[in-house]
Amino acid sequence: MEKVLLGFAAALAVGLCAIATGWAQSRIGSAGAGTLAEKPELSGTIIILLAIPETMVILGFVVAAMILYL
Amino acid sequence: MIVAMSKVEIIGPMELLLPVLDRVRALGLFQVEQEMRGFVDREDEKAFRPVRLDKKTLAERSYCDGLMAKIDQLAGFLPKLPTRCSYLEPHSAVGIVAEVVDKHTLLCSGLCRRRDALEGERGELLRQTAFLDALEPLFKTAGEGTGLDFIGVSLKDGEAVDHLYQLIARLTGDTFEFVTTGGPEGAIIVLVTLPVELGAKVRDVLNGERIPELAFPASLSQLPFPDKVRAVRRRIGDIGAELDRVNAELHRFASRWWPTYSCVREWLLDRLALLTTTAAIHKTDLCFFIHGWMPSPDVPRLRSLLNGEFQGRVVVEEQGALEEEMEVIPIAIRNPPYFRPFELFTRILPLPSYRSYDPTPFIGIFFPIFFGMILGDVGYGLLLLACALVMLKLFRTRRDLHDAALILLVSSCYAVVFGFLYGECFGGTAGGWRLLEQTCVIERSRSIMPMLAFSLSIGVAHVTLGLCLGFWSTLRRRLVRESLAKLVNILLLLCLAALAVSLFSPFPPPIRKGLNVAVLVAIPLMLLTGGLLAPLEMMKNIGNIVSYARIMAIGLASVLIAQVANRFAGLTGDVLTGAVAGGLIHLINIALGIFSPTIHSLRLHYVEFFDKFIVYGGRRFEPFKKPPG
Repeated sequence: MEKVLLGFAAALAVGLCAIATGWAQSRIGSAGAGTLAEKPELSGTIIILLAIPETMVILGFVVAAMILYL
Repeated sequence: MIVAMSKVEIIGPMELLLPVLDRVRALGLFQVEQEMRGFVDREDEKAFRPVRLDKKTLAERSYCDGLMAKIDQLAGFLPKLPTRCSYLEPHSAVGIVAEVVDKHTLLCSGLCRRRDALEGERGELLRQTAFLDALEPLFKTAGEGTGLDFIGVSLKDGEAVDHLYQLIARLTGDTFEFVTTGGPEGAIIVLVTLPVELGAKVRDVLNGERIPELAFPASLSQLPFPDKVRAVRRRIGDIGAELDRVNAELHRFASRWWPTYSCVREWLLDRLALLTTTAAIHKTDLCFFIHGWMPSPDVPRLRSLLNGEFQGRVVVEEQGALEEEMEVIPIAIRNPPYFRPFELFTRILPLPSYRSYDPTPFIGIFFPIFFGMILGDVGYGLLLLACALVMLKLFRTRRDLHDAALILLVSSCYAVVFGFLYGECFGGTAGGWRLLEQTCVIERSRSIMPMLAFSLSIGVAHVTLGLCLGFWSTLRRRLVRESLAKLVNILLLLCLAALAVSLFSPFPPPIRKGLNVAVLVAIPLMLLTGGLLAPLEMMKNIGNIVSYARIMAIGLASVLIAQVANRFAGLTGDVLTGAVAGGLIHLINIALGIFSPTIHSLRLHYVEFFDKFIVYGGRRFEPFKKPPG
């Protein structure tokens, strides 16, 4: 039972963070697409901005790994 | 690296102003400053006034401006051809060009007008031809007998066809032939054949019903319908021949005259740039003063050039930059050949300020290492190496793509090195490869926690390096409190990292006690130097370090996808299908393996690392030089 709960907690940690990242990236992506239409030279910056919310899912992954392995 | 800049003043007699400016421009290393504040003392400023062009020079400028405008107008009429160099001396050709440019513009504009008219007429006739193509088979059905009239109509839908049929049947008393066919863009083409005496009456009614007959040029109005068709086709052929003649004439003119015009235009541009720059120069009653910035290593070159050319009549003086000028010094960046391709990534960022650091060397050192750590696969690394070599060969002349290929080349080498350390080749781990078994230090697909600890320790080292550089940078700018805050942050971060390590491998009690005391002392010091927001800054630093876990996380995702590809290939049970299926998944993984490590390594630099020590807001160094030909 404890193993199931640990697995469930790890799944929640990574899953919720992934949803949050996806939501943030969708907002940044649409704003970035609008910006690109006017300033194509900003494509590099926009790709970087798009990668920033991925920290959330990575933190979730770290927490999940700690839940499972520590 | 940010090039050291010198504040330079060039002084000489007024009559030498234009020749001196010409030499300075030829050297292309001097940025002229219009603002003279900082170059001369406040009380001396009144003795200087901006150079005003004399009547003769002003007339020359206006002449050059006018001629440039005329040449540009002529250029608008000419086809764009690869131009050869003119053998004429531009200065002597200016007079000839000024004399003939109006006549040439008149000639070329006339030819262009004729070309446009012909193209317009041809476009119109071609549109009619599309209907004629549809009508032609109907003539065969209807015949071309004498005493008959033809009316061609284009309709949009079937209902209109029925309506038209009923109408004409009523008007002609069923003495007509009605044939239809499909036309361009879904239209229905109708050809009505009827006796000549009924033609005018039917046309009137059709006009009243707003059903227009297919229109032909007025010149063809007297011709019978079949002759109209032939005349249109003949006219299209004639227009094509005439257009060829007009275009050939324009082409001939451009290849004969444009080299001369282009060389005169370049000369005029040069001259105008020179005359415009004089507005940024100051003078006294006796001499001119050119103020500006240039790279310090190049000052002796400028000095010896002007000394040699003007026999000591022009003086180049180097002045020390004032403290308040540090923010306005223009930034020039020069890097050794290894680091130069990495400027591709720093061009995305704003320019650093003069006393800050050029980010390029840091990206050049750490980016390929992070990329290698994340990808870490011998097979993928070698494939990317091959890709980079092909790109290098293909894109020799395209700077950005060539730089990208060089970056990929270095990064893929690191991927191979880390591939050996992880014992990975196309996701296959050390067990299957003898050489990899010997070089493998850690199997990352199975050692999640050790890889996490490794990534975080890389983060601690990288962030601490950033803070150390920030400490040095603030110290150089004499911001004592800020530099102390950075120092305390460094100490606290290192102590916390050591305490975290001690949780897994306990230190001897005296060391642990010392660490605890150091943390207790550092916290109030941090508040004293950094203010109330200092703990927030510390939390940000810790968050930044945790962000380095992506090195492990993305690497793990990459190796797991590769293993899935191998297993999937094995499950198919057939060599060919397995190779195709596995190869496709590996291909996707390689594409991700280029994109993902690049983005995340850059992010670690831009957000976590540069934030600690780079101050942006520099002004680009824009030397006065000849435009590229």
